[in-house]
Amino acid sequence: MNEKDKLEILKDILFTDDREYAEKIAKRIAILEQTINEQKKLTTKVSPIVENQLKEFTKSIPTSLGPTITATLKEEIKKNKDEIVDALFPILGKMIKKYIAQEIKLLSEKINNQLSTKGWKRKFKSWFGGIKEEELILSELSSASIEQVLLIEKNSGILTASYSKTDTMDQEMISGMLTAIKTFVEDAFNQKNQNLELIEYELYQIHLQSFINYYIAVIISGNYTLTSKNKVQDLIFNFYDQFMDIKKSKTLNKDVIEKELAQNFNNADI
Amino acid sequence: MQTSKKIVILGHFGVGKTSLIRRFVEDSFSDNYKVSIGVHITKKVVEIAAGDSMSLILWDLEGTDDLETIRNSYLLGTHGVIFVFDVTRPSTFQNINTDLKIVTEKLPNIPLLVIGNKTDLVVIKELEELLNKNQISTDFLTSAKTGDAVNDVFLKLVNQLNGAT
Repeated sequence: MNEKDKLEILKDILFTDDREYAEKIAKRIAILEQTINEQKKLTTKVSPIVENQLKEFTKSIPTSLGPTITATLKEEIKKNKDEIVDALFPILGKMIKKYIAQEIKLLSEKINNQLSTKGWKRKFKSWFGGIKEEELILSELSSASIEQVLLIEKNSGILTASYSKTDTMDQEMISGMLTAIKTFVEDAFNQKNQNLELIEYELYQIHLQSFINYYIAVIISGNYTLTSKNKVQDLIFNFYDQFMDIKKSKTLNKDVIEKELAQNFNNADI
Repeated sequence: MQTSKKIVILGHFGVGKTSLIRRFVEDSFSDNYKVSIGVHITKKVVEIAAGDSMSLILWDLEGTDDLETIRNSYLLGTHGVIFVFDVTRPSTFQNINTDLKIVTEKLPNIPLLVIGNKTDLVVIKELEELLNKNQISTDFLTSAKTGDAVNDVFLKLVNQLNGAT
């Protein structure tokens, strides 16, 4: 054994612990290198940390960023008042308008119901019939009602006879304009043998029933359902049948035709 | 007893059809010109005899330089027609014979009156010479502004219609 071998043996004895420690460190470095280089492994390690940090950050937004955001918004609103008003006006305006219209309608209905004899009748009906007044009001509001009936010469638009619940604008002028609208629409679509059958105008609907030489316009208020439409058609056909008999039997007498109209359409339940 | 008649008023743009009707129905006039679009309907009841009247339903059709383009459906069932031209604008009467031919083809066998309107803007003698020179015959020369001869137009038509009834 020479001096060199002896020195090695001595080194082994003296540095055994350090060598083991160095090997352990080298192994750990290798694992770390592998973790960093492989995304999947890194994700499992880093994600929970990032997640926790984000949660913490979210929790702290109201306190950390809140005052800054609020101050900025206040400042922007103060600076651009006109632009904000411009942007909000159409939306708020519509909402307010709709709300006020609705409220006025409700108020007017309430007043009418309180004051009218119809209201008292309804109250009695409700007391004795055991039906809620609200339900009676709803059924009254929803039912369709015939306001006016016009028998019009198809070509000229001349009014032959009419029935009306209330006074309206000149019926001869209405007949002329209805005829002009009707012929215009029918011309516009250029469909022979097709007729304009219904005109809707806010709360009113005008049911038009064409025959060969005449047409009948029935002005209806309320909820005009398919059932109501069928009933109105029946009324029209019944009346027209009687009208044709009158036409055959004698010269057209307006009073006689109007009497027939009233008999058929007055208080008709549709 | 009251009968109703449909009267159609025809003519080029801006000849004063609406003004003539307004003068006859409301006895008023406005210088503020508004173009008629589509059709406007008004009514006037005229007394014919004691207890008898005629309801004139006046269809004021929008003016057109080409009478062929008039919507035929607006003319259906017409009892009488008034053709109006503007005496100050030769373009509205220089082809009057062609225009009247179209009208009578579209509306045959019914009373037709030819009216030269806006006489308040011309010298009548000069106008008559111009019309004679161009062989244009009219039933009336009117002014919707002053009301001159306006009622006469409609009364003549009522008489013709009454005679035809």
